[in-house]
Amino acid sequence: MDQTPSWLVEELERRGVSRRDFLGFCGVMSTALALPTSAGAKIADAIERKEKPTLVWLEFQDCAGNTESFLRAGRPTVADIVLDTLSVDYHETIMAAAGHRAEEALAGVVADKPGGYIAVVEGSIPTGANGAYCTIGGRAAIDIAREVCGNALATIAIGTCAAFGGLPAAAPNPTGALSVADAVPGVKNLINLPACPANADNLVAVIVYYLTFNRLPPLDAYKRPLFAYGKTIHDNCERRAHYDAGQYVENWGDDGHRTGYCLYKMGCKGPVSYQNCPNVGWNEGTNWPIGCGHGCIGCAEPDFWDQMTPFYSHLAGVPGFGLHSKVDRVGIWATAGVAAAFAAHGLVQLGKRSFRERTYVKAAAPERPAAEEKGDQA
Amino acid sequence: MKITPRPAPAEEICLAKVYVWELPVRLTHWLIATSIAVLAVTGFFIGNPSLVSPGQAGNQFVMGYTRLVHFYAAIVFTLSVLARITWMFVGNKYSAWDKFIPARRVRRKGLLPTFKFYSFLLRKPPGFVGHNPLAGLTYCFVFLLYLGTICTGLAMYSASAHVDSPLRFFSFLIPIFGGLQSARWIHHVIMWLLLGFAAHHVYSAVLMSTIEANATIESIFSGFKYVPREDLIFSGYRFVDRHTERGG
Ligand code: SF4
Ligand code: SF4
Repeated sequence: MDQTPSWLVEELERRGVSRRDFLGFCGVMSTALALPTSAGAKIADAIERKEKPTLVWLEFQDCAGNTESFLRAGRPTVADIVLDTLSVDYHETIMAAAGHRAEEALAGVVADKPGGYIAVVEGSIPTGANGAYCTIGGRAAIDIAREVCGNALATIAIGTCAAFGGLPAAAPNPTGALSVADAVPGVKNLINLPACPANADNLVAVIVYYLTFNRLPPLDAYKRPLFAYGKTIHDNCERRAHYDAGQYVENWGDDGHRTGYCLYKMGCKGPVSYQNCPNVGWNEGTNWPIGCGHGCIGCAEPDFWDQMTPFYSHLAGVPGFGLHSKVDRVGIWATAGVAAAFAAHGLVQLGKRSFRERTYVKAAAPERPAAEEKGDQA
Repeated sequence: MKITPRPAPAEEICLAKVYVWELPVRLTHWLIATSIAVLAVTGFFIGNPSLVSPGQAGNQFVMGYTRLVHFYAAIVFTLSVLARITWMFVGNKYSAWDKFIPARRVRRKGLLPTFKFYSFLLRKPPGFVGHNPLAGLTYCFVFLLYLGTICTGLAMYSASAHVDSPLRFFSFLIPIFGGLQSARWIHHVIMWLLLGFAAHHVYSAVLMSTIEANATIESIFSGFKYVPREDLIFSGYRFVDRHTERGG
């Protein structure tokens, strides 16, 4: 591989990106991947020498938000180039070919490079009505996914829908939507990159990691790369000092909100959500949700839509007591109810007692010895 | 703690002094009770921090300290619950596990009469010296609530535990509870269930103490109960209301 002049170097030169920028990018990547800074040089070396990996991008039941997420970059960054140059073989939204031509391209990759390409899946995979809810070229999404992901070197499920089912799989899940892991049982080398949408920087980082080390990054129990999902939002949040101090936004637009207090009481799900938003940021690191004064809604968590709603309260309500019931209110009333019921019980007991003598009848057989150590048999 | 029983009210009562609650049972009882009180107060604040702390964030640590107290109380609580569960297998028969799970026929047969007593259908509770079967079964659910709250607590703690902390191990519990947000919810609801139980528990202790005049309340301090001798003879074999049986 090292004999080929790097496709990347050529591409960078063509687009006028200096080597200095490129090395800067590699440094940033080593930081994103939580590697020592010295790894930057190794990354640069590896990327330059690697053969261009083939990548196909499948879209199923989705909003194309993850595609948008990295296509909408304001200025061409090295990351864009890495991605553009990678994702040539098949991508419905951005490829030039259409119809049968496009499908032929996909079939060609699967046939020519079995086990040699990376499949990126965006969107959930419906199973209801025999897969009729999502078909491409007359084939059900689940069949395409099983064939393409089943033969891939690695599969990256990008966005919460592909990783965990996401919005389409939220109750009552009318289309029987599944995540890639569930739809393609036993899929090899699956990496989940949940978030709504996923951060393009994390996708690039996964690919760069793979190019550099020839293996996939370490994953957590949900198959999310630890470098991006190893810590909660809360533990890296810039407002954390206000949280620990006990300073919270009480109403949108109040003094605390304008001062940048913690959004915990406005329903921020940062403490229960994993992602590196506070470190990497969005829109080329311009800002991130909490930085703009809005709580985290936990978009990268499994069952996000069912779990994290209502977005603007700390806890969900009590089932059967209405969507916006407050656990605490139900709890107070329930506890008061228990206390009242027992008070009533006590009154009845007292009342009944005053009507009759309250004594123990002597033991039926007083002559039998009732030794202490005999105790209760029950 | 030495507590003299109330004097036998009538000449008809013939009481025996029984050592029911051993020291570890009493100790864990009070450690669990106090830690639950601390955990409920701090936990309620953590869920709904209503104290305003003005000034620079760097000079305050209200939530930080509340959480710290919560975590220490949680350690006391967890260890006490574990100690009590261990004692179910090494302690005396009144503290044994089969007083909580009605695995034995005697205990199952006692359930209905006890329920009848509580619903005023029987005048006297069936004579069980330790926990009556219904109370035992209730405590079984309470222990399940304890385990639920301990596990959800550990799951949430593991999420933010230091990378080197052994408590990280408990992150495997997170998916079991359907994610951290639902772990939070379960943890919170269990607090309310335990508070509801506390109201019930104090009431029944007072009720039993008055009806049976057997020093139930005092027994959790002293360990001793004063039990009618007939209970010691007959319990475990018959559960008929003594009054009805005698035509009273
Ligand atoms: S804003 Fe959210 S993530 Fe940040 S400290 Fe507050 S609760 Fe945690
Ligand atoms: S801050 Fe929370 S909701 Fe927003 S993108 Fe990050 S993980 Fe998703």
